[in-house]
Amino acid sequence: MAAGFKTAEPQEYHRSFLKEKCRPDGRELGEFRPTTLNVGSINTANGSALVKIGNTTVICGIKAELAVPTADAPDKGYIVPNVDLPPLCSSRFRPGPPGEQAQVASQFIADIIDDTNIIKKEDLCIEKSKLCWVLYCDIMCLDYDGNLLDACIITLLAALKNAQLPKVTINKETDLPEVDTQHKRHLQINKHPVASSFAVFDDEVIIVDPTTEEESLATALITAVTDEDDQLCAFHKPGGSSLLAEKLQDCVSRAVTRNREINKLIDKVTESKKSSK
Amino acid sequence: MNAIHSCFKAQIGEVVLPGDVFQFDVSSVEEDSNIKSEKIVCGPGLRRNGDEILVYKSGILRHKQPSMYWIDSQQKRYVPVKGESVIGIVTAKSGDIFKVDVGGSEQASLSYLAFEGATKRNRPNVQVGDLVYAQFIIANKDMEPELVCIDSCGRANGMGVFGAGGFLFKVSLGLVRRLLAPQSEMVKDLEKIFPFEMVVGLNGRVWVKAKSVQQTLIIANLLESCENMTAQQRRALFKRVAEGAL
Amino acid sequence: MELDINSPVLREFGSEQSLLSKPDGSATFMQGDTSVMVGVYGPAEVKVNKEIYDRATLEVLIQPKSGMPSVRERTREQCVRETCEAALLSTLHPRSSLTLVLQVVHDDGSLLACCLNAACMVLMDAGLPMSRLFCGVTCAIDAEGQIITDPTAQQEKESRALLTFAIDSKEHNVMMSSTKGSFSMKEMQQCIAVSQKASERIFQFYRDSVKRRYSKIL
Repeated sequence: MAAGFKTAEPQEYHRSFLKEKCRPDGRELGEFRPTTLNVGSINTANGSALVKIGNTTVICGIKAELAVPTADAPDKGYIVPNVDLPPLCSSRFRPGPPGEQAQVASQFIADIIDDTNIIKKEDLCIEKSKLCWVLYCDIMCLDYDGNLLDACIITLLAALKNAQLPKVTINKETDLPEVDTQHKRHLQINKHPVASSFAVFDDEVIIVDPTTEEESLATALITAVTDEDDQLCAFHKPGGSSLLAEKLQDCVSRAVTRNREINKLIDKVTESKKSSK
Repeated sequence: MNAIHSCFKAQIGEVVLPGDVFQFDVSSVEEDSNIKSEKIVCGPGLRRNGDEILVYKSGILRHKQPSMYWIDSQQKRYVPVKGESVIGIVTAKSGDIFKVDVGGSEQASLSYLAFEGATKRNRPNVQVGDLVYAQFIIANKDMEPELVCIDSCGRANGMGVFGAGGFLFKVSLGLVRRLLAPQSEMVKDLEKIFPFEMVVGLNGRVWVKAKSVQQTLIIANLLESCENMTAQQRRALFKRVAEGAL
Repeated sequence: MELDINSPVLREFGSEQSLLSKPDGSATFMQGDTSVMVGVYGPAEVKVNKEIYDRATLEVLIQPKSGMPSVRERTREQCVRETCEAALLSTLHPRSSLTLVLQVVHDDGSLLACCLNAACMVLMDAGLPMSRLFCGVTCAIDAEGQIITDPTAQQEKESRALLTFAIDSKEHNVMMSSTKGSFSMKEMQQCIAVSQKASERIFQFYRDSVKRRYSKIL
């Protein structure tokens, strides 16, 4: 009976839950799905992390490569994020060149990296205008069940924390770089941005951490990114129903507490990884 | 009547924008119990939204006695409406129906039986590429629009295939409505220049034919140029043409 | 803070409607030296794989001034599309397509806001059913924390944060928000308040432009 109602009238089905201040999966309106994290899951990468928010599973691998810095920023390395939504993660994605959602997510993450200076790009420079690191951050979704951006940012942050770069020196005589894999160092993370996504239902009810189903029925989606100093790094609402400024304020306050939770989680997992070694 | 009319009155003949609302003063209605249920007709561009009337197109608010309101807007794309007469171009024959392009989002269908005197044996002579003047009997957002070339009595009443040797062109829907308005000054002014035949479809298509090709083109150009002219400018232009300036 | 919230500074704006012959609606919008031209086609026939059974399919394409559209344009397209979708009554034209093509003529800052304004103008021009209007306002926060509305490209470059909002004409609430740089909640609230104030001027401008357009047949 319930399944039939859900298929025939999905909007009404969700509405009847929201009226009771809960959601079909048993969560409260302001409750995130259980979030689990695993770091260093890929041995071949310089850094990696896998995050699960409910069913949504996203993995991030960081590959560091040596390159020549660009002419207009000779003392900076660069970071190249890329979000991949393969057909494996959901039937809505087709093989072929990245679709709009993947492109928008990649751009969003690139903007966050640039705006917040998670890593000082100067730190990636080895020798001015000669050699620098390029960090390829490949983020891949394995299971898509909504709230992609939150998962992407958590996994990116955890992977960057996990990443270790070998020591590189330039041989004065041959002018060739020498990689010393014995001495590895962690990256200096300046900011810890965490995203929180919200969905707006029927132009007024705000729920956090929407699933795919909730995303498709929502009248608007919001993603707020805050750092540990409670500054906003991004407030992205690509359209949809209009909201009062006070409601947006509520979203940001929720995002601030979420930031604390996630950073605690990342620290805990990173610590346990270190101690287990 | 007055309670509703009063909320529109100030804006009649004025430009309104989407999102503008007209609210009735419901309290005054309740006080005055003599008022019986009032009916108003919301034409194109207006829709009811609870206790208020919402404008959803930009244009000029018009009113017709006793209580019809609509928005007169200058749009180009035609959206089929039941009962409107349009000029269509036959694009395909498939079995019992013709597919007709009317400029909307979907092709309209026209049954071969929907012509005067047509029977299963006696099929009308319609070829792909012909122009038809027809009327919508089905036009709503959820169904394929359907045209007929007969009125409710089975008479052609001016409809059917037409258009040998004339010229068809497109103008805005606003201009078409101005041309079709009873006692349209524009048409009267044009008639003074030289005689011509004209078919005007509400979908923005106009077909004209005069004595010679040259005259046909002059009429067509004049009509097209009426789009963005005030009445005085138009009269001045027509006068020059009549005097042989072209 | 010296900013006078009640009269935000906006550059001179200008607009023209129905200037192209082929599209069903067309408009240009200029804010200072930033200029966008836009045309809309529809409701027209829709490809079967893009057909939505209960509403119109809206596509937004943004062509940059030079070169091919890049990932940055995709983000802008998404913002413009979802804002338009919220304003349009697309259920009135099910199984049809609406295509909005925006051509950036010149970018001198506040480009996304200008795209939104141009998009709203063109939807009105094409006579597509809309439940409300919307407008875009960009605010830049400079190094001293001053808010500059409708910044030029130079001011954008010097700013610490850049916030673009779409404000609706009914309740003057926030329909879209797209930001760059970091800022505090208080600064965001101030920017929203300024944008709401600025939106009134833009909506008045819309009204005046439409009046001008219809003046000939009044």
